[in-house]
Amino acid sequence: MGNDAKSSTKRRSRRDRLAAKSGETVAPEAASTDFDVAMPKPLPAGGSAARPSFAYLDDARVDEFVERSYLILEEHGIHVSHAAAAAKLSEAGCKVDVDGRLVRIPRALAEEALAATPRAVTLCSKSGRHDLEIPRPDNTFHMRTGTGAHGFNEPAGKWRKLVMDDVKAIAAIGDGLPEVGFIAHPFVNGVPERTSDIHGLATMLANSEKHNWIQPYDVLNARFLLEMAAVAAGGEENLRARPIVSCIACSFSPFEFKEMDIEAIIQCGRYGVPIHACSLPTAGGTAPVTMPGTVLMAAAEILALVTLTHILAPGTPLIATPLIFALDMRTGRSLQASVEALSGAAMAVQVCKRGFGLMTHTYGSGSDTPDLGGQSMAERALVNFIVGQSGADILGGVGQLECATVFSPIQAILDSELGSMQRAWMRTPEIDDETLAWDLMMDVPQGGHFLANEHTLKHCRDVFEPSAFLKLARDPYEAAGRRSEIDNARAIYDRLMKREVPPGLPGEDAVAEINRIVVAADKAILD
Amino acid sequence: MTGSLDERLDAIFEAVLDYEDEKTERLVREELAHGTDLQVILNDALISAMDEVGDLFSEGALFVPEMLMAARAMKAGLEVLRPLLADTDSKPVGTIVLGTVHRDLHDIGKNLVGMMLEGAGFTVVNLGVDVPPENFLEAVHEHHPDVIGMSALLTTTMPNMGKTIQLLRKEGWNGHIMIGGAPVNQEFADAIGADGFAADAPGAVELARRMIGAA
Repeated sequence: MGNDAKSSTKRRSRRDRLAAKSGETVAPEAASTDFDVAMPKPLPAGGSAARPSFAYLDDARVDEFVERSYLILEEHGIHVSHAAAAAKLSEAGCKVDVDGRLVRIPRALAEEALAATPRAVTLCSKSGRHDLEIPRPDNTFHMRTGTGAHGFNEPAGKWRKLVMDDVKAIAAIGDGLPEVGFIAHPFVNGVPERTSDIHGLATMLANSEKHNWIQPYDVLNARFLLEMAAVAAGGEENLRARPIVSCIACSFSPFEFKEMDIEAIIQCGRYGVPIHACSLPTAGGTAPVTMPGTVLMAAAEILALVTLTHILAPGTPLIATPLIFALDMRTGRSLQASVEALSGAAMAVQVCKRGFGLMTHTYGSGSDTPDLGGQSMAERALVNFIVGQSGADILGGVGQLECATVFSPIQAILDSELGSMQRAWMRTPEIDDETLAWDLMMDVPQGGHFLANEHTLKHCRDVFEPSAFLKLARDPYEAAGRRSEIDNARAIYDRLMKREVPPGLPGEDAVAEINRIVVAADKAILD
Repeated sequence: MTGSLDERLDAIFEAVLDYEDEKTERLVREELAHGTDLQVILNDALISAMDEVGDLFSEGALFVPEMLMAARAMKAGLEVLRPLLADTDSKPVGTIVLGTVHRDLHDIGKNLVGMMLEGAGFTVVNLGVDVPPENFLEAVHEHHPDVIGMSALLTTTMPNMGKTIQLLRKEGWNGHIMIGGAPVNQEFADAIGADGFAADAPGAVELARRMIGAA
């Protein structure tokens, strides 16, 4: 008899053990580590034949959102700021009014665009070790960090403005956490505000092994950002073959499409870079206060982005990205984890995924409180579960606090753990004689137990093992100095910060070229 | 099995850590055929392996079922040695009476402790479950243990640990008493006059060793 698990234990040999006991030598593997917390590991291979999900909306309701989305585009229309894009839409059969900007999209064109949109894509990592197939083959989801943070909660909890060194820290954390599939560049303070995206991406490209997510801050920026990505990939053709970045293109709710986002679509088409087609309506502000109305608006705007991409960047992979907010009517702040925002997220994901059949991405983490604590964990647990069960392919917002404006590395570590827990839970078990333990069941003595048998030994390591979360009784908890899950996350953070240089990073020449592009961008945009 | 003594003892040690009960038994028999001293096989291979199992469990590297299976393998080897040990002057490390207290029917944890104590070379007298204080006292008179170990899983049966201790002390028995079980902690042990508390099976082995001065 034996067990595969035995290979995972760090044994001392008999002779080392006896020598250590007699005080002669101490085996190297017996040396204590800095801390007694296990580092997070990827879930083992596996998955479900079908994804467990819940239907927040029934099929008839989903169809209603879809039908009305077509009607909005056909009858109400969208405003397209980009003159050349509006002209192309006109050529494709859209009705464009006299000023050449108000575009009404015929249903047949929107349907054609939807049918032509790819249903799968691989978001490539620089090293090739962390390529992300979407939809995820195990019928779960990927996670990612956010673009919006301009604040940074230090591991000890103190808030400060996010600076360039924090981009390196986010790269290390994102690379090291198993549930983070790709990493966004946040807003960086201490560099020119209008080119902060370019400075941030330059650092992120040079320091992260995983796929990066680009968010341009202006029209020209989109071109420079994609140019930098091409350099990091080793050239335009390499970027097209293996997209190491993807890029967001947003609507400006309600129903406006700015030149910057149209330019992002065009540039993504040029380089074959996948697009996160994003609508960010705020219920009660830029969208109706009633959440179904907000979701309908998001659905229509995403359908418009599908059409724009089909005309301006045909064949480019597109991931529907509704990011639903609710305005706090008491303060006027945007909320991402309120009950209403969660309701909107569930509806929007189901409309995009089931109604449009698109790859879908939204916040699957985050909280409206400024600091890590009970509220932040409760809200993101709920967001993670609801969005995960709604069918989203990508859950965003890892480490996000204060409604997407703050990145907390400690929160990110706990978010990854939470994501692992849900993904493990989503692997619905096979129901067969083995999992029912049928033979054992019919053999166990009444009043006996199951601890010491081959079946238990075989499966006892199938369980999910947390890294940061505790499973301690009071006495060992007290003996460990009441070390909390946050303390464990801090220990994990310390180790992630001490990582070795990962493979796949751009070489010195490429980094120098990226830096030259940054200088050129500053000159072109700021002068 | 051929090779040097060290290599052969290594093989027994590894067989226990691989949960190979039949292999452990066979290797111990072969080692006896080589003429190796019983105490060397017991201490340097079998008990050493179980000590490693206990350490790995405490570090979180081994799970409960794996510890149990290793204990089973160790016991398979020990059963080969046991009749021979009885014929020698060698003494067990110590004798321990174990039982789950009155009105409590849970025995898995207590049995796990028993297996680990046997693996560490103790002679274990397992009284079973639902053991009234008087039965512990009878066992004291019959087996003259160095240590009594009591287990309880229920908050409603925990007080019976205190009652048992009161009876044992009242009747003049001054040996070591240790307790364990899910609802029990050091504070409770102190409150009822137990000499020690262990949170898990390897901890119970270490505690028992300390109690009899064998640590």
